[in-house]
Amino acid sequence: MVRGSKDVLQKAAKTLSDILVCPLSKQPLRYCEESNSFISDAIGVAFPIKNGIPCLVPRDGKILEEEDASKPENDSNLSAVNEENLGRSA
Amino acid sequence: MRAVSLWRKQFSTSTSKLQIFDRQRKRAQRDRAAWCTPAHDPLLHSVAQNLLDRLQDCKKTFPTALCLGGSLQLITRSLSSPPANGGVEKLFVMDASFDMVQACKNAYRPSPGNAVQTQFLVADEEFLPIKESSVDLVVSCLGLHWTNDLPGAMIQSRLALKPDGLFLAAILGGETLKELRIACTLAQMEREGGISPRVSPLAQALKTELRSTFALHFQVRDAGNLLTRAGFTLPGVDVDEYIVKYESAGDKFLKGRFLSISCAALELIEHLRAMGETNALFDMNNILKRDTALATAAIYDSMFSSDDGTVPATFQVIYMTGWREHSSQQKAKRRGSATISFKDIQKQFGSQS
Repeated sequence: MVRGSKDVLQKAAKTLSDILVCPLSKQPLRYCEESNSFISDAIGVAFPIKNGIPCLVPRDGKILEEEDASKPENDSNLSAVNEENLGRSA
Repeated sequence: MRAVSLWRKQFSTSTSKLQIFDRQRKRAQRDRAAWCTPAHDPLLHSVAQNLLDRLQDCKKTFPTALCLGGSLQLITRSLSSPPANGGVEKLFVMDASFDMVQACKNAYRPSPGNAVQTQFLVADEEFLPIKESSVDLVVSCLGLHWTNDLPGAMIQSRLALKPDGLFLAAILGGETLKELRIACTLAQMEREGGISPRVSPLAQALKTELRSTFALHFQVRDAGNLLTRAGFTLPGVDVDEYIVKYESAGDKFLKGRFLSISCAALELIEHLRAMGETNALFDMNNILKRDTALATAAIYDSMFSSDDGTVPATFQVIYMTGWREHSSQQKAKRRGSATISFKDIQKQFGSQS
């Protein structure tokens, strides 16, 4: 039963990820099953999914730790956004 | 730590962009409103109906629709239940307040045989997380007037639309709550006017304006300019004025204290609170004193109340329509490409009449 509802949630997340992008960088989002969140690889931020509702307000995003962020942030513009987000969530 | 200080520097430069409203406060207010919005608010209902009626005028259908913040439940209900306006098949419901979205999700009952796929998400209109060219319709019912960067939010909506997609929005205009503004100004002149003589009359007026519930003087002509500036084609703007009458209903709670006076103007404040439409200005250091707030309510009642004991409040709603550019849309011809002179036309038709 629990597994079934989880499947439904995941299916919903899949449909959503077709049209959703990162609110800050407008780059595609990746759905992470383990943490149940949408991850923006471009800026290294995870947006949580609470109760099946993805929260994509910049303030709700959590900055990923260094080892999780797979891509180096070379783009100065994007890292500026990242820092802004860090300051906001702090 | 370095990152934070760097951010401060960045942030201080980026705040040169005008921050009028405190979006975080607005979010909290909408969280609260999610718990006290009545299921059937006549004002919100008529605005939502009026807005969605426009879809019936279009021959086009809109398979994918996005509903931006505002009165979500009404829009969701009318877009997803048959006879559905606009032929929506997939609906995305979005608001900045989690509680609002959750309440909308809880109230959402898919009717049997309903093929509309509804998805809910929490997002900010100023940071729209929607892929470019992915939806056919964007509807915003009374949500956009609290954005700091309205042109920016509208440009993002336009980018989210597919070519020939429709943008529909209703926002509250500058005439909204004019009675409250007058009452508030008078009350402040009476209660606080003598206290701060250092402040120039103009600044005082401005401050009063900022303190009253509605700050934005959003005019009808601005709406047309906004649509054009955001790059929408075939822009359309029209205005409606709704007058809501409030009856006094006994004891009220104001500024942290129960009042045993009956005052119809306080019903208005309660209604605003239930709609999540109370003040969310960034500069809220100068909040209204309880004394002045009471005087405002008293002046409101004595100035505007009608014979039957109700007080009116004006809500001006500006409806905006715009399309994303598409080659099939009608366009003005190139300048100087006319083959017939207007003089000839006048000769032709002028002689007939």
